[in-house]
Amino acid sequence: MFSIKIIVRTLSVFALVLTLASCESFVDIEVPNDRITGETVFTDDRSALSALDGLYSQLFNTAFAAGGNRSVTFLSGLSADNFEVTTPIPEVLEFSENEIFPPNDYNLSLWSGAYSSIYMANALIEGAENTSQIDDAIRDRLIGEAKFIRGFTYFYLVNLYNRVPLVLGTDYQINAQLPNVSPEETYAQILVDLNEALELTDETYPEDSRVYINASVVRALLARVHLFLGDWTLAENFSSEVISSSNLYELNQNLDNVFLKNSSEALWQISPEGWGGTFQHTREGNLFVRISAFNSPVKLSDDFMEIWEANDLRFMSWIGLFSDDTGDFNYPFKYKIQFDNSGGELTEYSTVMRFAEQYLIRAEARARLGNVSGAIDDVDQIRSRANVALVSDSNPGISANNLIDLILIEKRKEFFAEWGHRWLDLKRTARANEVLSPKKPQWNNTDSFYPIPEDERMKNPNLEQNEGY
Amino acid sequence: MKNKYSRLKRVALIYIGGIFLFLSVSAHAETRTTPLPFQQNDITGVVEDPNGLPIPGVSVSLKNTITGTVTNQDGEYSITAPSDGTLVFSYVGFKSLEQDINGQREINIQLEEDVAALDEVKINAGYYNTTKRNSTGNISRVTAEDIELQPVVSPIQALAGRMAGVSVVQNTGIPGTAPQIQIRGQSSLRTGFENNGNLPLYIIDGVPVDSSPINSFSGMTSAASRLDPLSTLNLSNIQSIEILKDADATAIYGSRGANGVILITTKNGENFNQKTRVSARIYSGVSQVSQRLDLLNTADYIQLREEAFANDGAEPTPVRAEDLLLWDRERYTDWQENIFGGTAETTNANVMLSGGGKNTSFQMSNGYFKTGTVFPGDFGYQKWSSGLSLNHRSDDNKFKARVSVNYGVDVNNQFNSASFVSNALLLPPNAPALYNEDGSLNWEDSTWTNPLAETLNRSNAKTQQLVSNLGLSYEVVNGLLVKVNAGYTALNNEELVKNPIEALDPSFRDNAQARSSHSFTNRNSWIIEPQIDFQTTTGDLNIEALVGATFQEQRSKNLRASAVGYSNEQLVGNLAAAGSVFVSNNQEIQYRYNAIFARLGLNLKERYLLNFTGRRDGSSRFGPGKQFANFGAIGAAWIFTEENLFENLPWLSFGKLRGSYGITGNDQIQDYGYLATYSPTPAPGGLFPTQLVNPDYSWETNNKLEAAVELGFLDDRIRIQASYFRNRSSNQLVGFPLPSISGFTSVQANLPATVQNTGLELDGSFISIQTPNWRWETNFNLTLPRNKLVSYPNIEDSPYANIYEVGEPLSIIKLYRYNGVDPETGLFEVEDVNEDGSINFEDQVVNADVGRQYFAGLQNQVNYKNLSLSFLFEFVGQDGVKFFRQAAGRMSNVFQSDFDNRWRNPGDTGVTQRASQSIFNTFTHSNAFSSEYLITDASFVRLRTLALSYQLPVKSSLIRSSRIIVTGQNLLTISDYKGLDPQSPGSDQLPELATITAGLEINF
Repeated sequence: MFSIKIIVRTLSVFALVLTLASCESFVDIEVPNDRITGETVFTDDRSALSALDGLYSQLFNTAFAAGGNRSVTFLSGLSADNFEVTTPIPEVLEFSENEIFPPNDYNLSLWSGAYSSIYMANALIEGAENTSQIDDAIRDRLIGEAKFIRGFTYFYLVNLYNRVPLVLGTDYQINAQLPNVSPEETYAQILVDLNEALELTDETYPEDSRVYINASVVRALLARVHLFLGDWTLAENFSSEVISSSNLYELNQNLDNVFLKNSSEALWQISPEGWGGTFQHTREGNLFVRISAFNSPVKLSDDFMEIWEANDLRFMSWIGLFSDDTGDFNYPFKYKIQFDNSGGELTEYSTVMRFAEQYLIRAEARARLGNVSGAIDDVDQIRSRANVALVSDSNPGISANNLIDLILIEKRKEFFAEWGHRWLDLKRTARANEVLSPKKPQWNNTDSFYPIPEDERMKNPNLEQNEGY
Repeated sequence: MKNKYSRLKRVALIYIGGIFLFLSVSAHAETRTTPLPFQQNDITGVVEDPNGLPIPGVSVSLKNTITGTVTNQDGEYSITAPSDGTLVFSYVGFKSLEQDINGQREINIQLEEDVAALDEVKINAGYYNTTKRNSTGNISRVTAEDIELQPVVSPIQALAGRMAGVSVVQNTGIPGTAPQIQIRGQSSLRTGFENNGNLPLYIIDGVPVDSSPINSFSGMTSAASRLDPLSTLNLSNIQSIEILKDADATAIYGSRGANGVILITTKNGENFNQKTRVSARIYSGVSQVSQRLDLLNTADYIQLREEAFANDGAEPTPVRAEDLLLWDRERYTDWQENIFGGTAETTNANVMLSGGGKNTSFQMSNGYFKTGTVFPGDFGYQKWSSGLSLNHRSDDNKFKARVSVNYGVDVNNQFNSASFVSNALLLPPNAPALYNEDGSLNWEDSTWTNPLAETLNRSNAKTQQLVSNLGLSYEVVNGLLVKVNAGYTALNNEELVKNPIEALDPSFRDNAQARSSHSFTNRNSWIIEPQIDFQTTTGDLNIEALVGATFQEQRSKNLRASAVGYSNEQLVGNLAAAGSVFVSNNQEIQYRYNAIFARLGLNLKERYLLNFTGRRDGSSRFGPGKQFANFGAIGAAWIFTEENLFENLPWLSFGKLRGSYGITGNDQIQDYGYLATYSPTPAPGGLFPTQLVNPDYSWETNNKLEAAVELGFLDDRIRIQASYFRNRSSNQLVGFPLPSISGFTSVQANLPATVQNTGLELDGSFISIQTPNWRWETNFNLTLPRNKLVSYPNIEDSPYANIYEVGEPLSIIKLYRYNGVDPETGLFEVEDVNEDGSINFEDQVVNADVGRQYFAGLQNQVNYKNLSLSFLFEFVGQDGVKFFRQAAGRMSNVFQSDFDNRWRNPGDTGVTQRASQSIFNTFTHSNAFSSEYLITDASFVRLRTLALSYQLPVKSSLIRSSRIIVTGQNLLTISDYKGLDPQSPGSDQLPELATITAGLEINF
């Protein structure tokens, strides 16, 4: 029975070991070194500000704002009449021929990039609202700037897709089932966000850098939103306020300097530092600057090349020409640096909003309100810089309607290859049909809004497709 | 970097070599110290089988000593022994025999065949051993003979076609990439590289090894698969691979057993009292892509392109039709031949040394493997491996220790391209020449991207892996064993991809710079498993019991960086010479695992068997409060031929019924999934949210049921095992898909669904000829799997509404109905089922199953005198997706048959649509490829392995035996599938290669 004793003893020692074995603390582990938990972010000022920085810098990495071939700049440029496709990539052709099929992957990237920014903004707003551990001034900055970016993003979503889901929180169980809402509802939310942002932001740029926003940027967007809503008075008021804060902004007389980092004309820019990688330059430069017959998918359309007056400085400075045996290719040359990873200073920033637009917003608002001379003054600011004949000299008696046409053409010249201005303006002024149907054989009425991506509708049964798809 | 690396390798080899040397000396020393008995005589004799044929390699030893020898080629032996001693003769497959010497000088022996002995072969069940006869669970086994001769890199690749219920697919022919293995079907919906819930648990010599593929920047090794950590194992050093399938076998692995368990046992040195033996084997061979696609020649291609422009009413322009306007319209290149038509050379060398004294024995092996690629250029894969196994036992046999160390280094030299092979299939046949007259790459005035440019982006991935294990056991009293099993694994991987300026189109070079990408992966883990093993017999009842605990930790580090600004092209890749370095990822992940487990095995009268296993598991991958869960199984077997009733059926030699039921789990989810986390942005100083939070997910469970019958006929010359299984997994952990309006495309969550895998597995063997000169044995296996989504409440409101369907397998694809080519428009037509005027996912009403309907293996082993032939056919019945082609008429080559059968004029009943480049054409083309049109028969029969060996009749005191071996891999594939490899339908990656090798093996 000696052995039984040993067995019992061994087993009891073992039982002890096993009891220890199931101690829960062994499987409690530390948070990994490459991330911090959501709660920790909003426990101190510094990390909260880092999250805000992240919201800005990730704009460079979300397709919609990045400036690359899935951005508003490129895709909306294709949908309007400034670009002509030279490399027949089907997804790109679909945009340029206004026959987008719902599975189009570029369209999905555009959409999901926008909602990714919105999620980040929502997370920041919730995080800042629910913490008591950060400084009030910083909390205001976080909420104000995040709401601005949310409003800005919805502005594009509602213009590109019309009826979109309005995501205002971070709970995926709610968000994943949200239906589309009317454009009116979205615009109402945009105004709520921007007005609150206006209250919470300072007049000066944080850290003196235009990759952040200040109150003038909020006003500039409010001016644009009101213009889009046909609220001419408010559009004029907000743009006037921006224009009068001229100690910060001016029309840069050297057109080669407009898109440089912290340019005096820039209202808001995105830094290519967001790339993080080793190619530090704008995606616009990368995409458009042509150094061979094949490197860029588009050239400027013949139609667009015909609208220019002689000696327009913008033509000379902002349009490049590549020629070889295969033909001539005019290309947007606002950003001069293409695939430059040869080191050195980062000189160009991707410009989201710039001062010149405010003159053209106010010009149009004034013309709509019947203030033709005020409108001429504003549009001449832009024409004067471009070194073309001033309206006040050449056609001072122009009618309000003709002046509006002229302003829109001026805008087309000023803002080609920038954030879809032409596409949005054509639709806003109900001219898309008239202008595009002669140029685009496949055009029909319903093409002014992009389809809700197929993939999204497959995952969210409450999302309705736009008409015509 | 290179110096540092090779130094490390050298140090490691010297170190291991030193251990070997020490061991062989000490083993030898022990041999000498054995006391010699009196009255030594030389005894000789011949050992024969029942047919009177000599048996070489029979172990002849003097009982209770370490003196021993083996018979030579003619079955002869000679041994020095005392006249009153006893000789023991033993050989696998024969009954051991003891013979007293009684003063005789010549002892001739005839050994009896022991068919039943095959039943007694020990099967590794992980924490315990069982035998085929007494096993209550389903364990498949492959042994060294079937593995070691195959010229493949991964041991998993060597399993293809060999086991019922185990499907192995090699998605790319690039060496060193991970094959895909599924044991009893797909149970998890997560199939991504980074997040795969279908990986089995790998245990190498008792140590769990993280088998998840290693990240790679190089497109060559990351497009279809990634780097396989198991590649560093030496196939020649594997003793056996056991695959545990049912609940009875896997439940003791608890949360990690759901997808099956793969036990890899390396050759161990339990060869006490054996003279030092050396065996060496070398082979070399060649490999090629065996399948090519039938694509257009230049004349047909040009015709098709011109037709497309004519159909579209468009004029070719230089930027849209460089092939028609800028390139030579007469030129023809067979791109398949030029891009992947080369011959890869393979060499393998292996040396093994074994021996042992009374208390200590050893086995060590060194292997080298090298294989090239079929691509132009100097690329390839090399592997060095060392294995050491050491066994020690005390004089009273109560204390035992085993050490096994396996160390492997592999170097994969490839280049960064994910589309190298598919480029060859797309390039117009009149595309320009690859080289200029001076030998430099031809860019044809920047009108094309030279496909060979990518070969300049060289990649180099080196992996070192150590798997070591120490097992100690002590028999406290008879039947009570206290054991500790401890293991340590370390894996180091470095990858460098260089992007020199020369790889770029000359027009880009002015403002470009050379770049390099670096990836460093480091995985370390340790495990300690204390155990008590108890065994006793009371009357007819034999009891085996086991309790144990597991503590395991794994740390994975990952650093990925890229660099530019090199002052000189020569220095590309040296981070110190880079102008700027950008770190894109630097993380350290910790995983901890803790468990207690137990087993109780009851065996009554060698007839009634019961087996209980259970485990309580805790894993750090779950949130607080969800970390622990219980798993367990019961298995039972009845060997009915032991009953008196069956004594009158002499043709039925063995019969067993068995069944098992139990619960296993799966914790293969991403670490830290329960935390809402922020990570640094690529830009300096920022933070951004990286995942959605769901703290509530918990263990998924997998219920496994199995029933089986095992039969043996005619003295077990015919053996059949038939099993039915039903695995149901519920509460499955998935990356629940979300619309991107929620900010992310998925969240970790438990799926409210039940997925069922059922199947019938049949395997067996059949010895059709057994005569003195001839032996023919056939092994077969057949699996009829069926996967089904059993339930999913409210699936129609979930993101899976348009992906899966209740009652259908997970392997379905939802497709449009295909209506053929419209004779008027010449376009592919699919059906607008709901007649809403638009073709969208709501019209995808056809569920096409692209899973395997059946798979089988048929192996024959034929021996005639010194000749031995073995070949394995793999059979797979499946539908697969067609190999995707661009719409005809675009600047891309197409199948000859698509060209021949295209629509040309109104009224034509074409099989494929008209040539065109319009987006409508592209859209209808892509619709057709999302319709029934996509599906085709992808069944195949493949001659997986072929091995012919000839035992050389060399007689020598030095050489025990030697043989010449010729092997073939994938030599023949029969399939109607039009693609590179029916094994992975639709893949445009390099197919698995066909290989022939020849080699020599010598045993000293």
